[in-house]
Amino acid sequence: MALSPAVFQADNLIWQVPNKRILDELSFSVAQGEFVGLIGPNGAGKSSLLRCLYRKIIPSSGNVEFQGQPITQYSAKSLAQKIAVVLQEPPSHFELSVMDVISMGLTPHKSLLSFDTQEDRERVIRAAKDVDLEDKLDQLFNNLSGGEKQRAMIARAIVQQPSVLLMDEPTNHLDVRHQLEVLSIAKQLNITVIVSIHDLNLAAAFCNRFILLDKGRIIANGSFDQVLTEQHLLSVFGVKAKIDQHPFHGGPRITFDLGAN
Amino acid sequence: MFKGFKQQGFSLQYTALIVGSVLLLLFTLLFATASGSVELSIAQVFDALFCTGNCSNSEIEQKIIIDIRLPRILMAMITGAGLAITGAILQSITRNPLADPYLFGISSGSALGAVIVMASISTAAISLTLGALVGGAFSVALMLALAGRSAANIERLILAGVAVSFMLSAFTSLVLYYSKPEVAATLLFWMMGSFANSQWSELSLPAVTVVLGLMLFVFFRRWLAAVQAGEESALTLGIPVAKLRLFILIICSAITAVLVAHVGGIGFVGLMIPHISRFIVGAQIHRILTMCVLLGATFMIWVDVIARSLLQHQVLPVGIVTSAVGSLFFFIILRSRSQKDI
Repeated sequence: MALSPAVFQADNLIWQVPNKRILDELSFSVAQGEFVGLIGPNGAGKSSLLRCLYRKIIPSSGNVEFQGQPITQYSAKSLAQKIAVVLQEPPSHFELSVMDVISMGLTPHKSLLSFDTQEDRERVIRAAKDVDLEDKLDQLFNNLSGGEKQRAMIARAIVQQPSVLLMDEPTNHLDVRHQLEVLSIAKQLNITVIVSIHDLNLAAAFCNRFILLDKGRIIANGSFDQVLTEQHLLSVFGVKAKIDQHPFHGGPRITFDLGAN
Repeated sequence: MFKGFKQQGFSLQYTALIVGSVLLLLFTLLFATASGSVELSIAQVFDALFCTGNCSNSEIEQKIIIDIRLPRILMAMITGAGLAITGAILQSITRNPLADPYLFGISSGSALGAVIVMASISTAAISLTLGALVGGAFSVALMLALAGRSAANIERLILAGVAVSFMLSAFTSLVLYYSKPEVAATLLFWMMGSFANSQWSELSLPAVTVVLGLMLFVFFRRWLAAVQAGEESALTLGIPVAKLRLFILIICSAITAVLVAHVGGIGFVGLMIPHISRFIVGAQIHRILTMCVLLGATFMIWVDVIARSLLQHQVLPVGIVTSAVGSLFFFIILRSRSQKDI
């Protein structure tokens, strides 16, 4: 463990709202360069956990350390320089161009009064190239397809130059190809990524570590073999699962059925 | 602010739009100063403004231009620009395209203040403007107090504002109901908005407030732009969204309260000019603000010109003309736009 310092270190993380404990004594750590998949049924606490990591939520008790320091000690700006977040945002009524949206990633690095320099603009264009959107910079963000929007949000995150990327269900509502694209772009960044994801096969293809949540608790945490077992899938998701080899990449493949037998 | 445009990349269309709008505003200024019940030429307006030696204007013409028309036109300009930028920023910060400067019951608060002053204190010890100012400030304070800790939640804040608005309107109606007919008539005219009583001495407070507000909006433009795309993602960019919103709301309220206190309640400008500006220049905050200043000022001057020339020997309330002219104009834009989209 000492070799690669923990990016995130959570100890006994609890977050509760009146009458309900959403996150229940979570302890885990994420090391530099890991691609972590947060999995679990709806309402398991995946989004809430991510929110604790980007400090939208301050936990009721327990600690989150980011790069060796309590996350509460960072200023909002310095945290935003290190952690980028890709969210499912409600559609905006305002007609921002793709360029405008991607340029927002500059915000944590710019003082309020400064203007965007040539260098900033080049950074934005490079990020757009990385996600294959450079010919759509002048289009309206609202007119993009779901996959393109998600890619634009990743480009915004790239412009933020973070050391950690958090993504909350980035593949929802996307077709198969776009799902794969979004995650492989994230993978190519070579930074620490934590992604909440519903599609277990997709998670299996990209993540090298898995945290399985259910009702606010960590059920399993580790490699594919430790986490995505047939027993866990039955007890947490209530599905019968069969795991065999993926015919293309040789990794694991999960097949589900509701059947109880 | 102007340095920003160059660095945003040279855009011919945008530059042309700005130059066009500036020229339109200048022309409007001259035309409005020349027109009125005493017909003057634009040359005479130039003379009145810049002539030092032997001037062709008679003393009375000079007086009409400098003391009567100019303050009135400048007040219209400040009001139009101020309401438009306030509306634009409120729409961005609340992410609600229907937000306008009167959202938080400021106009009803100001109206109540003015009504109380007029109805109860017959001597001019306290001016109507001061009463309106105090009333507007009171309505904002009341709204913030009612919203309390939930001021961080924009929906609750708006609901608190609407509640305050109705409550204060009820009081205003009550006072109006029991006041003398001539007082009621004066008040109604005031509430519909007018630039008729504008004087040089009254221009400074609105001008300073609007300019300060504009500077603050430009200062925070990066944050405002990020918030209009989504609150939670703005938070992840390191922006203190709740604090920013409260601060901006207070600035907007201050601008509105000062303007309403001076010219009464003038609707439409704060709601529609921002939309028209957005149609034309896109969603970047500094572009919208520039366009709002130019279009808001131009529009308001024209409205005042129409209000004082439509009927002979009678000045229509500005608020009526604004809403009538404005909504017509907006229908046209909406129509041409929806055709373009299809």
